[in-house]
Amino acid sequence: MKQISSLNAALNEAGDISRFTGRFLSHWFKPRYEVAEFFRQCFIIGYKSLPLVGLTGFIMGLVLTMQLRPSMVDYGVESQLPAIVSIALIREIGPVITALIFAGKIGSSIGAELGSMRVTEQIDAMEVSGTNPFKYLVVTRVFAATCMLPVLVMLSDAIALYGCYLGVNIRGDTSFNLFWTQVFDNLAFYDVLPAFVKTFFFGFAVGIIGCYKGYNSRKGTEGVGRSANSAVVVSSIIIFVLDLLAVQITDLLGFY
Amino acid sequence: MIKQNANNIKLGIFVLAGLIFLILILYMIGRNRNLFGSNFILKVEFENVQGLKAGNNVRYAGIDVGTVKRINLINDTVTEVIMTIGDKAKTIIRKNAIASIATDGLVGNKVVNITSAKQASALAEDGDVLRSKKPLDTDDMLRTLSRTNNDVAFIAENLKTTVSRLNNSTALWNILNDKALPHNLQLSAYHIRLATAKANSIVNDLYAIVSNVKNGGGSLGAILTDTAFAYNLNMAVTKIETVSDHADTLSLQLSHLVTGIQSDVNHGSGIVNALLKDSGMVIKLNESLDNVQKGTDGFNQNMEALKHNFLFRGYFRKIESKKKQEGKQVTTAR
Repeated sequence: MKQISSLNAALNEAGDISRFTGRFLSHWFKPRYEVAEFFRQCFIIGYKSLPLVGLTGFIMGLVLTMQLRPSMVDYGVESQLPAIVSIALIREIGPVITALIFAGKIGSSIGAELGSMRVTEQIDAMEVSGTNPFKYLVVTRVFAATCMLPVLVMLSDAIALYGCYLGVNIRGDTSFNLFWTQVFDNLAFYDVLPAFVKTFFFGFAVGIIGCYKGYNSRKGTEGVGRSANSAVVVSSIIIFVLDLLAVQITDLLGFY
Repeated sequence: MIKQNANNIKLGIFVLAGLIFLILILYMIGRNRNLFGSNFILKVEFENVQGLKAGNNVRYAGIDVGTVKRINLINDTVTEVIMTIGDKAKTIIRKNAIASIATDGLVGNKVVNITSAKQASALAEDGDVLRSKKPLDTDDMLRTLSRTNNDVAFIAENLKTTVSRLNNSTALWNILNDKALPHNLQLSAYHIRLATAKANSIVNDLYAIVSNVKNGGGSLGAILTDTAFAYNLNMAVTKIETVSDHADTLSLQLSHLVTGIQSDVNHGSGIVNALLKDSGMVIKLNESLDNVQKGTDGFNQNMEALKHNFLFRGYFRKIESKKKQEGKQVTTAR
């Protein structure tokens, strides 16, 4: 009985999120646009996340290189280390790790911010004062998240590749020129473009889940904490689901 | 407001940095795939491309000069590989260059290697089809090697038996051990040399004769070269011709004569005709002969009558006694 009710609750939430997404799209297309607020959110969501994302990217590049080295040495293909690490980073690790960090930082902050605004009835006050709270709060945040994550992923890839270069040079001796050539000789458009496109969906998922959870927050301060928490959890799961979908679609389209 | 501006600048830098890195990645990949900058197309046909794919590198003298653009199946034995070659290589690759498929390293990607031919040729142009070299097929190689091994084993076996037979052959060893053999061989060679010299002198003589004949020496030469002789010969032949002409007329006349005689015999009234053709004459002759017979019979009787006549009896007796005497003389002589 309990399972059925929880299943009902899950399906109910899925339906609510879909409706919320539809509402976002309808508001997104319609004027008037909150341009200044959009840029402010871009600054907060994108620029302010860069140090965190850059650090994790750098560490991922360095660690992945160092972890792979023994196996590569065993197979006698140590010279292919930059190639294999760069492909792994650009295709999968860069987008997914960055999106997860992004979900942890931005999803929770949006969820908490909107949740607290909801429980303190600021959103209702906005409606009364004639501002469209959905446009001002939700559309700007979701769109900013959608646009900023791809930029963050690109920068994270660059930093991670630099980490990889340092990792290669801890035990080996590879000039930057050779590293550069090896990386770009082994990359192809079908490595970069699907990974780039899927980050838009990751960013959109993080923004929409965070906003949904915060916008529909209930039960006072306790509810705010729950909103922030579940925003991170759900958006992380959705990132993995979207990644699975993306790899299947690219595989079907022959990008491999 | 100032803070807002500063934030916007930071955001702009952040976004631009991300976009620049994306564009850089795409540009670098594109440059490696020869999507930017001018290039030209070369084609080559292979029987088997061995897993070559679009995007694989094309190398000239070990340097990447382009990529494989597309691979088309032409028919069941020919596969066409279309390559995009950078313009830098346009002044280097020639029409008679040879393309082959190789592997980058032991387990790496496939690459198309273009090597220059030794002969001179014009520079390759857009759309040219290069010659291809059959790629090294390890399966094929091993098959050939195995066949070669079998052959070598067979040959070695045969050599072994041959050598052992040679070893056991006393005749061969006798020949090899014969100390006089070299001397004999030397002698034979000397004789052959002499024979050759003689043959040479004979040939020289023949040559001299032939040249002599050419110059008109000797009777053969006279025949072959003397113009007067030829005239005489001509005359003789003419005379023979006239003689044979005369003989012709003679035989014609003879023929006429014979024909005349024949017609005489057949139809004429001469003796011969009468003898040969007149049947009445035969009867008359028969009668005449009968008459003669009768006449002689009568004469015989007359003669018998004369014997018994007294006037001639004495004569006949004398003849009889003479015959008797001659018979007695013959018997006594024996």
